[in-house]
Amino acid sequence: MARPDVRAWLLVGPATLFIFLLFVAPLGEMLWRSVGGADFTLKHYETFFSTPLYIRVLGHTFWTAFVVTLICLLLGYPVAFVIARYGGKLGGLLLLVVAMSMWTSFLVRAYAWMVILGNRGPVVALLNALGDPNPKVLFTTFAATIGLVHLLLPYMVMAIYAVMARIDPAHLRAAASLGATPGSAFRHVYLPLSLPGVVNGCVLVFIICLGFYVTPVLLGGPQDHLIAGLIGEQIEELLNWGLAAAMSMVLLVATLGVLAIYNAVVGLDKLWG
Amino acid sequence: MRPVVVLIAVLVGAFLFLPMLIVVPMSFSNARSFAFPPPGYWIGYYTAYFNDYRWTIPTLNSVIIATATTIVTMALVVPAAFGLLRHRFKGRNLVNLLMMAPLMVPHIVLALSYYLFLGKFRLTGTHAGVIIAHTCLSAPLAFLIVAATLKGFDRNLERAAMSAGAGPFRTFWYVTLPALRPGMLVAALFAFIHSFDETVVAIFIAGRAASTLPRKMFESIRLEADPVIAVVSTLLFTLVIVATVVATFWRKRTSHAT
Amino acid sequence: MAEDNDSPRNGRAIGRRTLFRTGGAVIAGGLAAPAIIRPAFARDTLYVNTWGGSWTENATKAFFDPFGKANNVEVRTLSPVSFAKLKAQVETRAYEWDVTTQGLPGLARASKEGLLEPLDESVVDKSKLAPDSIRYGCIASHALSTCLVYRTNKFPNGGPQSWADFWDVKKFPGNRSLQKEPGQALAFALLADGVPKDKLYPFDLDRAFKKLDQIKPHIKVWWTQGSQSQQLLRDGEVDMMSMWNGRAVELIDDKVPAELVWNEAEMVAVHWVVVKGTPRAKLAWRFVQFAHQPEPLAKFANTMNYGPLNPKSFDFIPEAQAKRLPTWPANAKVSFVPDAAWLGDNLNELARRFNQWVAT
Repeated sequence: MARPDVRAWLLVGPATLFIFLLFVAPLGEMLWRSVGGADFTLKHYETFFSTPLYIRVLGHTFWTAFVVTLICLLLGYPVAFVIARYGGKLGGLLLLVVAMSMWTSFLVRAYAWMVILGNRGPVVALLNALGDPNPKVLFTTFAATIGLVHLLLPYMVMAIYAVMARIDPAHLRAAASLGATPGSAFRHVYLPLSLPGVVNGCVLVFIICLGFYVTPVLLGGPQDHLIAGLIGEQIEELLNWGLAAAMSMVLLVATLGVLAIYNAVVGLDKLWG
Repeated sequence: MRPVVVLIAVLVGAFLFLPMLIVVPMSFSNARSFAFPPPGYWIGYYTAYFNDYRWTIPTLNSVIIATATTIVTMALVVPAAFGLLRHRFKGRNLVNLLMMAPLMVPHIVLALSYYLFLGKFRLTGTHAGVIIAHTCLSAPLAFLIVAATLKGFDRNLERAAMSAGAGPFRTFWYVTLPALRPGMLVAALFAFIHSFDETVVAIFIAGRAASTLPRKMFESIRLEADPVIAVVSTLLFTLVIVATVVATFWRKRTSHAT
Repeated sequence: MAEDNDSPRNGRAIGRRTLFRTGGAVIAGGLAAPAIIRPAFARDTLYVNTWGGSWTENATKAFFDPFGKANNVEVRTLSPVSFAKLKAQVETRAYEWDVTTQGLPGLARASKEGLLEPLDESVVDKSKLAPDSIRYGCIASHALSTCLVYRTNKFPNGGPQSWADFWDVKKFPGNRSLQKEPGQALAFALLADGVPKDKLYPFDLDRAFKKLDQIKPHIKVWWTQGSQSQQLLRDGEVDMMSMWNGRAVELIDDKVPAELVWNEAEMVAVHWVVVKGTPRAKLAWRFVQFAHQPEPLAKFANTMNYGPLNPKSFDFIPEAQAKRLPTWPANAKVSFVPDAAWLGDNLNELARRFNQWVAT
């Protein structure tokens, strides 16, 4: 029994050690700093929980993540469905488009939206033509939400598609042969079978959204901070690393909380395929 | 019902794809402005990009960091996948969880923890620091892909080779490795692109010397409104298109071959 | 990877077994690159923190290139200017740049927090400096005004002429922007509320924040960098805003329909700062001494429109140009100068409260 163990550890050892030393330890350092290091204090957590702004931003972050996830789901499900069920040239093309936008840098896409939503871009020109002389588009919650949806939609499609691709079409044929209309076959057979993909996609998008920094900072308005932007500001502008660390811990715990719920309901191993 | 679903899917596809196209005409704009359509066209900002060290050095840094990240990630992840999939040992579940852990932590949290941790060892603002962070971030996905390939691999092939008299090493080299190569290439590609695109950690820890392209792009959009950003965006977008086309053709060719 | 001549090579590499060999070559090349490039950088390199955009362009022509040529030094620029970065560098002793610029209030704050390298008299010859040009051990460069600027096509019958007008959203409707600079925004708010220019300091904070509350819904962006402010006005993202006079004049010269208002502008004396503890301090002081000389400073004033804080510079500045500078008597008379000492003591607390207020 001992020898195979040694061989296994020789194989997994380097990766384990690397992640332990260079991933777990930095998180530990952050936890340490959030409680003031050797001079133990909970004042950063007190500051966080006694400042209405921070609580509000945390709530706003969860709300934004929820809205973005919902929109991604509504837009992403039909796309995944067409790719998986209908296939063909259109399905292939859609898959290509989804893959391409997934590979394209976040910043390229954020920049593209700044041009599109900017005051001299097509959207404002259209609104002007429709009779709104002074539309507010860029630097608003609306702009940040569109940007986030555009970024995260490919992840949703891929997650749902991965599950749909494994659904045996025979199920639907069987339902049809038993007299089910296409609509009820979809509702009673296909939808439940694709549900794991939906859950995976939602968890994935929700979690990425919770910690997202770049897009809201670039496209959102001044009152539109998500918690990640606030942490960034504490690091970059106010140099309050203790408070930033406490905020990060709160965000981390919130994220792990979402994952724990998922784990209890579905099982974490399902998330990684 | 079907036409409606198809229509929705096509519209969503257009929503995903069309906005990215806007960067192409913008890169030829002659105005220092986000105005679209551009008032006039030239290629001056392309020259500016290739001649400005403030753009070329981050580009080179990104290539170096992404390459090194890919190599380190693969060197760690491939043996780990073999170890986890082919051996039962104490602590296996814990190791598995550890391999996945970086996926569960928001990037901004990692950025801060690396900022504090690497700072202690004077590794902020160095290539090594960014490579370490990026390797941790790329490892889970690369691991998943390699593990998935390994799961799909038919071990009877190995047994056949062994019974034909090949030693374990020759079997690995001539049988196992070639069969896993496509999956490993995909994993390596994932690691490379992940590192090449990673922005948040780079913003906080890359500093001057190891500043990466996404970091420079972020600063340039947020602070400078620098028109060169459109050029970089177009180049990156073109690269994705080229890579996608090449990958599609390659897959078609290999799938015809088998 | 973004160079387009690389992409075919990459594309092929993906499809071939050579990926790892190519990867190896790239990383070997990458590691070797510093060795290959190094001879070109064998000269000393000075890293200067700049305000980006046209500031960097004009300062490169006026200061960095001539200094570099005369001393066989490579000057490299990094932006943006950030007080927090200055502080972080001194605290972590990881230096990204050696020289930066700060307005007098920022200078007072930096001095209080011990972020300034003391003047090195073995390098700097004080007799070659203009009289009265040293504050907190730093050498003066130029005067910059933050003015009210508006788009003339939006207000064809005359735009806002004071901060009270800026606050008057009924008479002057439109999107607004201010710099995310607490000391400045609070001063503008108090002026808008009728506090006379000479009674601004110490701030009546509650009064100032109450006044700021009124304008907040109309502020579309809080800008932080000069080029960003220019983009906002150039593309009409906002209709009126606070802007540095040099940046505004550049837009107007570029035929952007904009007007600059000198009335109630905030005039700040900008000084060169050598970052405390930087290993290249001696070189940095040599540069600062050079940049204070009449000719480079005049060249900068002629292109960037900031007022030189070395009177001899005016020998090289035509009168028509001098009228465009913040230091011109008619302009200076209607501006105000912030109380650097008071701000230096209070900026930390102001910034904390202000940032929270902005985000709420």
